[in-house]
Amino acid sequence: MATSYRSVFKDESKLDINYIPNRLPHREKELRLLMEFFSFLLRFPGKMAQRVMITGDVGTGKTVLSQRFGVDITQEAKKLGVNLRYVHVNCREYRGNLFLIMQHVVSIFHPNFPKRGYSAEELLGILMQILDEENTHLILALDEFESLVEREGSEAVYKLTRMQEIRQNKPQRLSLVCILRSLKVIEQLDASTRSTLQSNIISLENYSKQQLVDILHDRVSLAFKPLTVPEETIELASELAFSEGGNARFGIELLWRAGKYADAEDLGMVTPDCVRKAVSSIYPSMRKSDLAFLGHHEKLFLLGVARLFKENQKAYVSLKEAEQAYAVVCEEFNVKPHSHTQLWKYLQELSNVGILKTEVSTVGSRGRSTIIYLPRISASELEKELNAILEREGA
Amino acid sequence: MDLEDVFSSKIRMKILKIIAQVGELNVSEIARRLNINHRTTSEHLKILEDEGILQRKTFGRIRLYRLNAVSPKAKAVQNLIEVWERANE
Repeated sequence: MATSYRSVFKDESKLDINYIPNRLPHREKELRLLMEFFSFLLRFPGKMAQRVMITGDVGTGKTVLSQRFGVDITQEAKKLGVNLRYVHVNCREYRGNLFLIMQHVVSIFHPNFPKRGYSAEELLGILMQILDEENTHLILALDEFESLVEREGSEAVYKLTRMQEIRQNKPQRLSLVCILRSLKVIEQLDASTRSTLQSNIISLENYSKQQLVDILHDRVSLAFKPLTVPEETIELASELAFSEGGNARFGIELLWRAGKYADAEDLGMVTPDCVRKAVSSIYPSMRKSDLAFLGHHEKLFLLGVARLFKENQKAYVSLKEAEQAYAVVCEEFNVKPHSHTQLWKYLQELSNVGILKTEVSTVGSRGRSTIIYLPRISASELEKELNAILEREGA
Repeated sequence: MDLEDVFSSKIRMKILKIIAQVGELNVSEIARRLNINHRTTSEHLKILEDEGILQRKTFGRIRLYRLNAVSPKAKAVQNLIEVWERANE
């Protein structure tokens, strides 16, 4: 008889990198600004083309912001009876080659357009002809714009931006959204090309931990069944995404992987340990040699922490709880526990090598207390590894 | 041109079939797919265009042909091909 499969997912496509959410938490202001930049184009189509640059680190929502904008402005244009297309191209996918990028854009309008026999510049001209004939305005989003600049330099960017100017007395039909990590790459361009680009810049700040919590909450409600993802799990995934430079994409991917681990073990719930397994699957798990080089009491302390995380399925534990767990381990191994100050030093060491992560918390208790995260390895895996090493050492 | 004259050519029927399937193609690609020379392809395409069955778009050196969306003749051809293909499945 077939066993019933209870997945934690309601709709895992909501965690896919290509999914465009209706709501972009903590990017509402930037979305409004982007719409504002293009509002003239909707009111007076053909009078002016726009160029905007979106910059920000990995996972700060550049791509999704542009794509959400693309969906919204296309709908808005439809309401107003303006023919407008939004085309999103990842330049890196086309090796930063202007010819291949233009070929892709033209193929959206004419899927069987021949693949050979003309230059990138001719293709650009063909694109303008298509837009004229179809009375359409195009917002071309060039994602990973760096790759185009690095490969083609000023000339390609100049062609794209100056195309309108050589079409005197014709409607302005091609607007650009250039998406890139940093404006540094723009410095490689010559002054005249730079001047055509650097007018409207939207810089996305890295997400704070609380903002990541909000974003992951949003995705959890869309992708997972109710009550399958506890707060602790979201907290840990957010913490890890924050430690990756506020990378929301990383956090979302972690949740998806963690959900897969939960399903594989038929847990019916995505526990913090599923997140740890997920993160160690993304990163090469910590090297065993990292553990072998730890001092004996560091290993015992870490074993106590691993057991604590394994038992209580929390995202973090306090130093006090870790000390108590360490004391139990010392009793088991028949050694005298080291002092609080010594443990504090061990904790710093373990944090420096990236095995544990610490944070000072001021919430819920008097004064400041240290809380400990186990970011990159599953608690059960860590416990198993430490037990094996301690056994080999004849402890 | 009379119906029998337009449809009497095997090449023209093949051109219509291929365009009905693919949607839009340039001259060289049609010639390649049918394994005929460019000039012959162009001549047959011109006949079909003059009859209003095909529509041409020119982009520099590139000529793209598709069924003429506003022509009743093109619609009839599209229907004929679809019905024929379905019946043969």
